[in-house]
Amino acid sequence: MENYFIGILILIFSGIFSLLIKNSYLKLKFIALCAFVSTCFELNSVFKIFKFGTIEKIFEYGSIFNQVRFSLDYLSAFFIFFITIMTTLGAIYARGYLSNYIKKKKDITAHSVFLPILTASMLLVVGVQNALMFLIVWEMMSLSSFFLVMFEHEKKETRQAGIKYLIYMHVSVIFIILAFALMSLASNSLDFAQFKIALENDFAMANVAFILGFIGFGIKAGFVPFHNWLPSAHPAAPSHVSGMMSGVMIKTGIYGILRILSLILIPSCQIGYVVIIISIITMLYGILYAISQQDIKKLLAYSSIENIGIIGLGLGVGILGLSYNNPSVALLGFSGCMLHVLNHSIFKELLFFGAGAIYSKTHTRDIEVLGGLIKSMPKTAVLFLIGAIAICALPPFNGFISEFLIYFGMLKGIMIDNISAFLICLLAFGALALVGTMAVLCFTKAFSAIFLGEKREKAKDINEDVNSSFIFPMSLLACFIFFIGLAPKLIFLFVSKPVSIFVQTGQIEQYLNILQTISIVLAGLLIFIGILYTIRYFVSKGSKVHQTWGCGYDKPNEKMQYSASSFASPFLVMLMPLFKKVSDIKKPKTIFPVHAHFVQHLEDVEEEYFLKPVLKSTEKFFEQFERIQNGNIQQYISYGIIFLVIVLIVAILLG
Amino acid sequence: MINNILIIVLNILFLLIMPFFMVGLIKKTKAFFGGRKGISIFQPFYDFVKLLKKGQVISSSTSWIFKIAPLVIFSSVIFAGLFAPIFYGKAIIELECAFVVFSYLLGFSKFFAIISALDTGSSFEGMGSSREACFTTLIEPAFFIILASIAVLTGNSTFNSISMILTSTGAFGLLITIMMVAAIFIMLLVECSRVPVDDPETHLELTMIHEVMILDNSGFDLALITYASGIKMAILSAIIVNLILPSALNGALFAVLFIALTLLLAIIIGIIESMMARIRMSHVFEFVFIMSSIALVIASLVAVRMFGV
Repeated sequence: MENYFIGILILIFSGIFSLLIKNSYLKLKFIALCAFVSTCFELNSVFKIFKFGTIEKIFEYGSIFNQVRFSLDYLSAFFIFFITIMTTLGAIYARGYLSNYIKKKKDITAHSVFLPILTASMLLVVGVQNALMFLIVWEMMSLSSFFLVMFEHEKKETRQAGIKYLIYMHVSVIFIILAFALMSLASNSLDFAQFKIALENDFAMANVAFILGFIGFGIKAGFVPFHNWLPSAHPAAPSHVSGMMSGVMIKTGIYGILRILSLILIPSCQIGYVVIIISIITMLYGILYAISQQDIKKLLAYSSIENIGIIGLGLGVGILGLSYNNPSVALLGFSGCMLHVLNHSIFKELLFFGAGAIYSKTHTRDIEVLGGLIKSMPKTAVLFLIGAIAICALPPFNGFISEFLIYFGMLKGIMIDNISAFLICLLAFGALALVGTMAVLCFTKAFSAIFLGEKREKAKDINEDVNSSFIFPMSLLACFIFFIGLAPKLIFLFVSKPVSIFVQTGQIEQYLNILQTISIVLAGLLIFIGILYTIRYFVSKGSKVHQTWGCGYDKPNEKMQYSASSFASPFLVMLMPLFKKVSDIKKPKTIFPVHAHFVQHLEDVEEEYFLKPVLKSTEKFFEQFERIQNGNIQQYISYGIIFLVIVLIVAILLG
Repeated sequence: MINNILIIVLNILFLLIMPFFMVGLIKKTKAFFGGRKGISIFQPFYDFVKLLKKGQVISSSTSWIFKIAPLVIFSSVIFAGLFAPIFYGKAIIELECAFVVFSYLLGFSKFFAIISALDTGSSFEGMGSSREACFTTLIEPAFFIILASIAVLTGNSTFNSISMILTSTGAFGLLITIMMVAAIFIMLLVECSRVPVDDPETHLELTMIHEVMILDNSGFDLALITYASGIKMAILSAIIVNLILPSALNGALFAVLFIALTLLLAIIIGIIESMMARIRMSHVFEFVFIMSSIALVIASLVAVRMFGV
C-alpha cells in the first residue's frame, strides 16, 4: 500500500516542482523521469496485490469524512496497471511532440503541472472507497484534463471544445452524486463496503443506483447519446493528451460502472438488456461516424466511442450471465470487457501517437491532403498499420482476442434457454460482426489515405521520419499488441483475477485451451507468411518498375487516385438518412467554366437534432432572467429599496 | 481439438487441389454453353505454374505493402481453411466458436487486399476496394447470425454444427437447410466475385469489384492471389456441400459423393454465369440484402422452434 501512495506523491510533487525548472525541455524530461519512477512503485504494488490479494488502508479525517478507506482489490490493481504504463508512455511521447511548440516559444508550464496530476488523480480514483473522497478526486481528474485540453487556448475552437468538455463532465458529476447520495441514504454511510451491504436487500434501489451511475459514468466513458464531448475534445488536445484521455481516462468511466456493479450482488436481467442495447447503439453510431470523418483525430475519437460500445457489450453480456446464473457467459463477458479495456488503451494510444507524429510533420489533420507518407515516414507507417489492424480486431493481434471472448460469451448467451436472452444476444452478435467489418472499412480508409498511393499536397515536402521520442513509446505499444495477440493464455489468466470479483472463475481451464490453440494457429500464420516471403524472394525472377496501370493514360497524377471520401462513399450513401449533409456546391457554368467548387461535410445528427435544440431551449429559459439582471443601475437600486421595504414590513408585522 | 490424421490429409488435399478443378470446370461449362470446345480442365493449374515462373512489373507508386499483401492474403485464406468443415463435416481444428476465427482470418486477408489495391494509387483499384469493403459489411453480419442460430438449433457451437441440421431436426431441418444453402451460395457469389455480382472475365475496369483490385499484380503475386480466391471458393463450396450431405454415410462413399457434389456446384456456378447477366452495380446491394433477409428469417424460425413463441 505504501508504494501506491509513494507513487502518487511522486507524481503530484513532480507536477509542483516542475514550476521551479525554467528550461522547457528539462521540465518535460523531469516529468517523464518522475512518471517512470512512480510507475515502478505502482507496478510493485500491483504485483503484490496479484500475489497476496486486497490491501487496505484507512485514514481518519474528523467530522466530514469520518473514515476514508483506500482499498486496492484486483479490479483497482488491473486499472492501476495500465493507467501507470500508458500515462508514462504519454509523458515520454510529450517530450517529442511538444518540442515543436517549444521551438515556437509556447509556454508549457501549466501543461507540465497538470500532466502528472491527471495521472495521480486517476490512480486515486481507482483506489478510493469513500464516496465523498471519490467525488473530490474525480473532479481533480476532470479539471486537470480540462487544463490539458486547453493547451492551445489561443485558438477559438480549442476554447469551445474545452468548455464543452467541462460542461459534459459536470453533468456527469451530477448523476454520480445522485447515485452516491441514494446509496448513502440507504446505508447511512459514505463507504462503498457499507453501500454493498445496503444494496444487498434492496433490488429496486440497486437498479436505480446502477442506472444513475451508468448515466454519470457513461458520460465520462462516451456512451451514445452522451458522447458528444469526445469528437470535439480529442482533436483540440495535443496528441499525447488525446491518447491518454481516450486510452486511459475514459476507462475510469468503465471503472466506475464496474465498481457500482461490484456493489450489487445479482443484477437484474433488465439492466443487462439496457446495457447491451445502449452498447449496440454506441458502437454502431461510433463506427458509422468514424467512417465519415476526414479529420484523423476526430475519426479516432469516434472510433473510441465504438470501442466503448464493444466494452459495454462485454459488460452487458457479463451482467446477463450473472442474472441468468450462467457463470461461463459471465466469465467470458467480463473477461472480454476487461481485456478490451486494456487492448483499446494500447492500440488507441498507439494510433493517437501516430496521428500526432503525422501532425507534427505535416501540420494537418485532414487525411484528404496527405498520402504516400509510407515512403518518407516508414517507421510511423508500420506502427500505425499495426495499430489499425489491431483496432479492426483482426488476428493475429490483441483486439481479436478480446472480441473473440465477447463473441464467445454472446454465443453462450444465445444458447441460454431463454427467448429474450436469445434475441438480444443474437442481435448483439450480428451487430458486432457489422461493426467489425465497418472498422475494416474505416481503418483501411484512414491508413491508405494517409500513407499509401501518391503524395498529395501537404505530404509532398516531407522527407524524414519523426525522431526516437515519438518512435520509442509507439514501438513499445506495438510490442504489447504482439504480445497479447500471441500469448492470450497469460493475459486471460491475468484478466481473470479482476473478473473473479464478479463471478467464479472455476471453468476457466477449457477456455484457456481454446485460446492456446488459437494462439498457436496465429503464430503459425505469422511463420507461414515469413516462409512465403523467403520463397517469394528466391522464386520471383526480378521485377520491372513501371507506373500504375491507368487504362492507357500515361500521365497520371496524385489527384487521380481515389480519395478517402470517395472510398467510404458507397457505404455512406446507403445510410445517408443518418447524417446531416452540409454541402457547398458551385457548379461549373458556361462553356469555359472559370470557377467551381464542391465541399461536403457530414454532421453528427445527435448534435444537430438533439443537443442544439436542447441547448437553445435552455438558453431561452435562462434568457427570461435577463429582465431581472439587465445591467441597469437604477433598477438594481430599486431592488435594494424594495428589499429594505419588505424587511421593514416583515419586522413590523412580526414585531 | 485437432482431428485425426486422415481428416487432416484429406482436408489439406481438398484445399490445395480442388480450387484448380473448380475453376477449370466453371470455365469448361461456360465454354460448353457458348458453343466452344474450351480450355482443358487442367488449364488453371498450368496458368498457376506459368505465373509462378514469370517476372513481375511493379508500380512505382507502391511500397512494401503491395509486396507482402499477396503473401498475407494467401496465408490467411489457407489458415481460415483449417477451421472450415470439409470432409465428413469435420475441420482440421475444431473449436467452439471457430467460425468467428474463420471469418476474421478471411477479414485479415481482405484488409490486406484493400490496402494493397489502394497502395497503387490507381482510381480503378480504389473503386474496386471500396466496393469490396462495402459488400463485406453486408455479408458478414448475416453469416454470423445464421451460424449463431444454427448453434442454438443443434446445441453445438462448433463449426461442424452445419452438418447436423439435416439429420437431427427432420422436416424443419430441411427447410433451414434449403435457406442456408441459398444464403451461403449468395455469399459464395459475392466473396468469390462470380456473376451476377461480378464478372471475373470482364475487361471493363469501371464495373469490376474483385478483379480490378489486382490489376497491378503480376507473376508470383498474381498466382498467389488467384489461388487464394480459388481456395476461398472451395471452402465455401465445402460448407454448402456439408449442409446437404448427411454425415451418417460411410467412409469412401461420403468422400466420393462429397467431391462429386463440389464439382457439381462448380458446374452450377458455370451454368449461372452462362445464363445470367451481371446485375447493375447499384442493384448489387439489393441482391446481397437477400442473404441478410434469409439470415433474419432463419433466426426467427429458430426462435419459434426453440421457444415456441
